[in-house]
Amino acid sequence: MKIRSPPGVQYPITVEELAKKRDDAVQRSDLLLTYSYEATVTEIDKYGETSEVKKRWSVRFNSSADGVIAKWFVQKGAVIARAGIDIVEIEEPCTHEIQFGSMCVNCGKDMTESDYLTEQRNVDRARINMTHNNVALLVSQKEAAMAEEDSKRRLLDAKKLSLIVDLDQTVIHTTCERTIAEWQSDPDNPNYEALKDVKGFQLADDNVAHVAANWYYVKMRPGLKDFFDRISTMYEMHVYTMATRAYAQEVAKIIDPQRRYFGDRILSRDENYTDKLKSLQRLFPTKTDMVVIIDDRADIWHYSDNLVRVPVFNFFPGAGDINASFLPKQQELVTATAKVASPERAAANDKARDEEPTNGILTEIEQQLLSMKGDDAPEVLEQQQKEQEKVIITQQTERPLLQQQLWLDKEDEAAEETEESIEPKDGEIPSHEHHKHRHAVLHNDDRGLDVIEENLRRVHQAFYAEYIQKRKTTLPQAGRVLELKGEKSPKKRSMGGEHVPDIKDLMPRMKHEVLGGTNIVFSGIIPLGMDVQFSDFALWIKSFGATVSLNVTKQTTHVIANPDRKTTKVKRAARFPNIKIVNAEWMLQCCTQWKHVDETPYIIEMDAADRSGSPFEDLEDDDVGVTGDEEGDESESPVQVEISDEKWQSIGDELQDFLDESDDNGDSPSDSDSVRSDTSTHSDSKRNKRKRKRLTGTASADGSDEDSDASVDSGSKLQKRKKRAMERVTSLNNVVTGDKSSGLPSPETTGPEEGQGEDEGTVPDPTSLSREDGSEDDEDEDDDGLAAEMLAELKKSESEE
Amino acid sequence: MFFLKEMEKTIQLHPSYFGPLIRSHIHRELLTKEEGSSTGKFTIVCILDSFEISDGQVIPGTGSAEYTVHYKAIVWRPYKGEVMDGVVTSVIRAGFFVDCGSLQAFVGRNMIPSDIKFDPAATPPQWTDNAEQVIEKGTNIRIKIKGLRSEVDKMYAIGTMKEVCRP
Repeated sequence: MKIRSPPGVQYPITVEELAKKRDDAVQRSDLLLTYSYEATVTEIDKYGETSEVKKRWSVRFNSSADGVIAKWFVQKGAVIARAGIDIVEIEEPCTHEIQFGSMCVNCGKDMTESDYLTEQRNVDRARINMTHNNVALLVSQKEAAMAEEDSKRRLLDAKKLSLIVDLDQTVIHTTCERTIAEWQSDPDNPNYEALKDVKGFQLADDNVAHVAANWYYVKMRPGLKDFFDRISTMYEMHVYTMATRAYAQEVAKIIDPQRRYFGDRILSRDENYTDKLKSLQRLFPTKTDMVVIIDDRADIWHYSDNLVRVPVFNFFPGAGDINASFLPKQQELVTATAKVASPERAAANDKARDEEPTNGILTEIEQQLLSMKGDDAPEVLEQQQKEQEKVIITQQTERPLLQQQLWLDKEDEAAEETEESIEPKDGEIPSHEHHKHRHAVLHNDDRGLDVIEENLRRVHQAFYAEYIQKRKTTLPQAGRVLELKGEKSPKKRSMGGEHVPDIKDLMPRMKHEVLGGTNIVFSGIIPLGMDVQFSDFALWIKSFGATVSLNVTKQTTHVIANPDRKTTKVKRAARFPNIKIVNAEWMLQCCTQWKHVDETPYIIEMDAADRSGSPFEDLEDDDVGVTGDEEGDESESPVQVEISDEKWQSIGDELQDFLDESDDNGDSPSDSDSVRSDTSTHSDSKRNKRKRKRLTGTASADGSDEDSDASVDSGSKLQKRKKRAMERVTSLNNVVTGDKSSGLPSPETTGPEEGQGEDEGTVPDPTSLSREDGSEDDEDEDDDGLAAEMLAELKKSESEE
Repeated sequence: MFFLKEMEKTIQLHPSYFGPLIRSHIHRELLTKEEGSSTGKFTIVCILDSFEISDGQVIPGTGSAEYTVHYKAIVWRPYKGEVMDGVVTSVIRAGFFVDCGSLQAFVGRNMIPSDIKFDPAATPPQWTDNAEQVIEKGTNIRIKIKGLRSEVDKMYAIGTMKEVCRP
């Protein structure tokens, strides 16, 4: 330990004498050196006269550590000018690298003691907790790095990676409803088959629910045992759950009875320092290069690059995650809220579906903000516990599963067939196989693990392929350099970290290939009032290389829409055959399977009426003139198009056909004399790929583009204004796109982004943006005004025709 | 080390317990609350049967009654240098954890004889000399307390195996 000149001393000081020599043993509070300093003091002599006198004072300087003096940095007579200068190095017999309960593990000394000599408290030397099941054992940075180096070497030798496994809704699903036990003992029950492998347990010390002897029923995800068997050859697995320790322990007993897969590597809420987030650093404080996570929630991992997000395992309908009340509120999707509810409610919802999305969403977000902000204040914790209690009591008393089964039975009697749902989260929707003429609420057909396994296998292969590749290329060189340099141990160096690829680079790279080049617009999926770019879905799909836009533009390749509702965006996109309008299931499939799945089964059928445009929009599609800056842009045209020219050509042709068609029956201004070589600039001039030179002759292919929508008439101030506004909107988006650090809808949601997710019939309100003050209050007025203005414009042009 | 200690405890009883069985209620309350609890200095192992219950006093405002109970109990207090038996609860690279009754102890890497090495590949992981000595979860072990620290109602100990007999 180095002892430095302390603060709070009157500098400069002069070293008078060194009391110890090199290699002398010192004890704490032994004299190390004496120094002197000069100060002016006011002296009063016997006559009562005051005078300022300079005086030298000699001070003893004591050692603050035990040990042997390794090196003096100062000599007798040296002058030390300020605090923080090295004085002496003392080699300590114990550096207290590992501490347990604030005691050093190696020397047994109490680390919390502090006295007048203490410079750095001993407890601060070891601050990192990397043990799964204990919070009292802390290690120093150095020790942690060493431990990780060790395990890295071990993993590399065994050709393994680390895998963090979440429990609830990832590999298991738990409910507290005692109906399960009744069904399990009744072979006639339609759910009997599915419940065969459900195991129950009680927690001895269950004070969570204040309900005596609460039973938990755990369903393993189908194929879990085989999954673990195969994955454990590639990964060293850890459990990381937000459930209590006791619960995690019990579940581990069920999923890993021999403790072969996880051993003691179980981390629960009791050992996690915060309730809100899971942190890789909690287990891997210095290196996360070789860690892969599987979890059904990405927000609690802060959308970590190490995360492989898995489809939610929802076996007991409506049970959800019983430990979720400790997590931040999940962002709910419109489609999910409408259908996850119990059948009775769902039935009611069918009528009220249209109102649904707008209701309660703001409060939802508020709650989420609140809960994310949440510190570990006791009242918050108490509230969370109460919430969990409520969930459990509800499950016990209301027995939603039983109700559902009764409801189903009734429905069976009426011989009704419910429609197979395409809703993504509806793994739990009742199955339709006849089983003794009764439908089962529960069914055992989740195949999520196969997909997860495939993904994990790919990551593992890619990692070790790259590792071997890198070793091959760098090793001989490094060895030669070392030889030339005459260094002693090339062997030791060869294990160094340079060749080890980083999962944080590797996985995003793999994922980006999946949907790279696609441009996605959400419509009717993300609840109103949520920032689309930061919504869970958008962040998820962006991690696969897709870009998310707010509006249908000519870059748009896919519109992900709610099949039940025809939004403006869907209608607009419908007029362009190159834009695929798909339901959310497509996205979920892509994101879980890690491949660009064929859209065909997920396409939302559009009727012919939607395929043809309204005259109002045709007007905007025609580009009569271009503005000056657009021409300027045309000249510099570094085209970086994701879609090949041929494709563009065909798109253009199609459009041409379509436009001709609409010209026939419509009386919109003809595009015959319009300037076709116009270029629509997408605001964002930094991104070249957004600029695109239009081929002459492909008439107004930019009909799909919002910007060129705006450039209908060069003379129209309104359109210019709108265009400007749109530019601003888009540039705003692009700034946002890069940043995906937070899963939260940003609190300062700006005007145009609000309502983007659900804009039913409203064009994003450009006028409020175009004005500098951009006040949101009179948004509606502006909207109306704009509509009126545009209508007038339309009439005028019509009459001119 | 075990001691016989005289202690005192104030117990509050809800009015619903007032009745002929009041003594047994107090007794039960005493046992459930006190036995096994740790004060940070010592652990109450067992409360002896003979105890004195003072006259009850009704607390104004609540209706509950307060009793002061004098009792004797066997308490256990660990000392530095004491040799204890315990059960291994968890094995990690840095050492292993031992439960000695209410006391949780940790034996660090440097406190384990040098011929016993950590084997992370074993399931479950263990410290072993590749002969008959295996330290894994559940092993009975004898350690000597090298350091002791108490916090409110909790005690921590550092153990060593170098100065005592092997498991």
